[in-house]
Amino acid sequence: MTQFTPSRRLGLTAALATALLAGTSGLALAQQASYKFGLAMPLTGGQALYGNDQVKAAQWAVDAINAKGGVNGKKLEMIVLDTQADPQVGIQAVNRLISVDKVPAFVTAWSGVVKAVAPIANDNKVVELSVGANAPDISKLGDYVYTTFPLADVDIRAVAQYSAKEMGKKKAAVLFVNNETGIGSAVVYRDTFTKAGGQVVAYESYDQKATDFTGPLLKIRASNPEIIHLQGLVAESPQVIAQARQLGITVPITSYSGVYNPKLIEQLGAAAEGVIATSLAPGVADSPAVAEYVARWQKEVGRAPNGLPYTQYLHDTPYLVAAVFASLDKKGTPVTGEAFRKEMLAIKSFDLPLTGKVEFSDDHTVNKPVYLVEVKGGKWTGKAVVNK
Amino acid sequence: MFNVTVISQIMWTSLATSSYFVLFALSFALVLKVNKVFNFAQAGMMTAGFYAAYVAVRHLGLPGPAGLVAAVLAGMLAAFVLERFGFRVLRERRASAMFVFIFTLVASQFITYAMTLVFGTWPTTIFESMFWPVKIIGDVAVSAWDVPAIAATLAVLAALWAFLRFTRYGQFMIAVADNSALAELYGIRKDRVLMLTMLIAGAIGGIGMFLYGTRAQVQPAAATELMLFAVAATILGGIGNIWGAALAAVVLGMVQNASILFIPSAWQGFLLFAFLFFAIVLFPSGFHFPESRRALKKMRAAPAANSGKAG
Repeated sequence: MTQFTPSRRLGLTAALATALLAGTSGLALAQQASYKFGLAMPLTGGQALYGNDQVKAAQWAVDAINAKGGVNGKKLEMIVLDTQADPQVGIQAVNRLISVDKVPAFVTAWSGVVKAVAPIANDNKVVELSVGANAPDISKLGDYVYTTFPLADVDIRAVAQYSAKEMGKKKAAVLFVNNETGIGSAVVYRDTFTKAGGQVVAYESYDQKATDFTGPLLKIRASNPEIIHLQGLVAESPQVIAQARQLGITVPITSYSGVYNPKLIEQLGAAAEGVIATSLAPGVADSPAVAEYVARWQKEVGRAPNGLPYTQYLHDTPYLVAAVFASLDKKGTPVTGEAFRKEMLAIKSFDLPLTGKVEFSDDHTVNKPVYLVEVKGGKWTGKAVVNK
Repeated sequence: MFNVTVISQIMWTSLATSSYFVLFALSFALVLKVNKVFNFAQAGMMTAGFYAAYVAVRHLGLPGPAGLVAAVLAGMLAAFVLERFGFRVLRERRASAMFVFIFTLVASQFITYAMTLVFGTWPTTIFESMFWPVKIIGDVAVSAWDVPAIAATLAVLAALWAFLRFTRYGQFMIAVADNSALAELYGIRKDRVLMLTMLIAGAIGGIGMFLYGTRAQVQPAAATELMLFAVAATILGGIGNIWGAALAAVVLGMVQNASILFIPSAWQGFLLFAFLFFAIVLFPSGFHFPESRRALKKMRAAPAANSGKAG
């Protein structure tokens, strides 16, 4: 010890320690000055095509929020992790968000992942926002799991109500693909239409592998309906409509968001007239903000986003999160998952730029306007907005 | 429901839509008969045919007939690659029949995934429009697609029959089918005949997919499901009997479609597999029409070299 010149060494160490301390405390200050939330999406794997576009939309929103002053002057920070749309990978990502990044809330999608990470959210009292998955059981995943995306039956109910009440149809035929979603949605349509005073005169299904639909369509034709609801998949729906028209069935055909794309009109021409579909987000024609958003995609990426309505929902989620953070910030409440949840439910209704109003219900679902669109004169045109 | 209009409409549409099923069944049954392979890779050949027609018509802007030619050529190309670099290599290595079968499954999935990478999973059609105008003939709706499709299938059937009956290579194919070892003794070059069979099967599959893809949407995995119908028809129609397979495809389609008059439509898909189940259990070597009994006798008389295919 005597050989040392302790004073110098000690001085150096002390200086270093001070510098380090100053550094970390500065970091700690910076952390408090920003609000973090997580985003766990498929960035690789088969679903990455959609996941990456949705993340891009969310990133645009975060940048826009920060450019306008962030959360009461504090930065909004989004931590993006990959789930590969795989439950196992999703669990790892969410564990990291909660234990390392200590976020009070995170956003995720794809029903497999949404369901797998729900227990983690509930156990840690961290809010999970599901954006995009639409299986009805997502509303039953626990206290900390909420969806900002309407679940499967919202648009089917809307279309059945509208047919019976507004269009005044008394006799409907239901034609559906024989799989889980087809059967479930057909039941919802039948019950809603009957409750609204209508009568379901034909209730026919077809096999998922079917390549010809003459049989069920003839049965429907014989029942003389005033309107037909088709609950099919993207792959065969156009052909079902084509065959219905070929067999001389001219009544309006309603369906859901699956058939709402420009290709249907190219494929069917005049036979597409009178087809009514739903959309859970306003389209380019409904909202100037959406038109601007799609134009930005064209300009910066050179194409329309994959799964446009989903990217609209993802784009709007940071606005919702920022609104909750802003409210907590104003009250000076420490940001925990518990506080986030309470504040979100207290605010209850949010006005969002690309998807309109969203309102959280007590049963963990959201009530959203349903946009009905109809093929008229060779173009998709807005018909009505239900549940405004 | 049981009126003449409904029944004749179902019969007519089933006949028209069985056109492509007949072609898929012909293609499958021919390879099974001559090459003695349960060629599940046929789905890959069919997918290649569809996307070739799609690219020719939708991307290159070529007229419909050019799309048909593209489908045929692509089906043949896929068949060539499979035979030359797959089946022939496996034959040279004396791979077991089961191994060859597994190879066809793998090859089929490989082509499906490759097409998914290139074209995505979004379903599409060969022509932009898939709606065919309709004429009402005696209360029955006959679409502009129906008649050409049936005509094309009849033409293929006639051409194949004439080829097998009257040409040298057609005779070689029958000889190899009956007894390949004996055929080789007589100087028939077996590899050539097997290649030719695959090329014909590829071409027929291509025509079938062209017909299908002008009427319904296709995605890379669709051909597998279409082919399963062909497999069912081949088993029902009598293994080794290509005309029986073609007829079975028509009958299966009609029974499946007409079944809606008696049972709920949700059961239609089930019916196919119920048929298949009973066909396999009750007629393990296929259901034989009286005419083909002679062929069966011939088969029994042939030496043990042939016995492997009976199962």
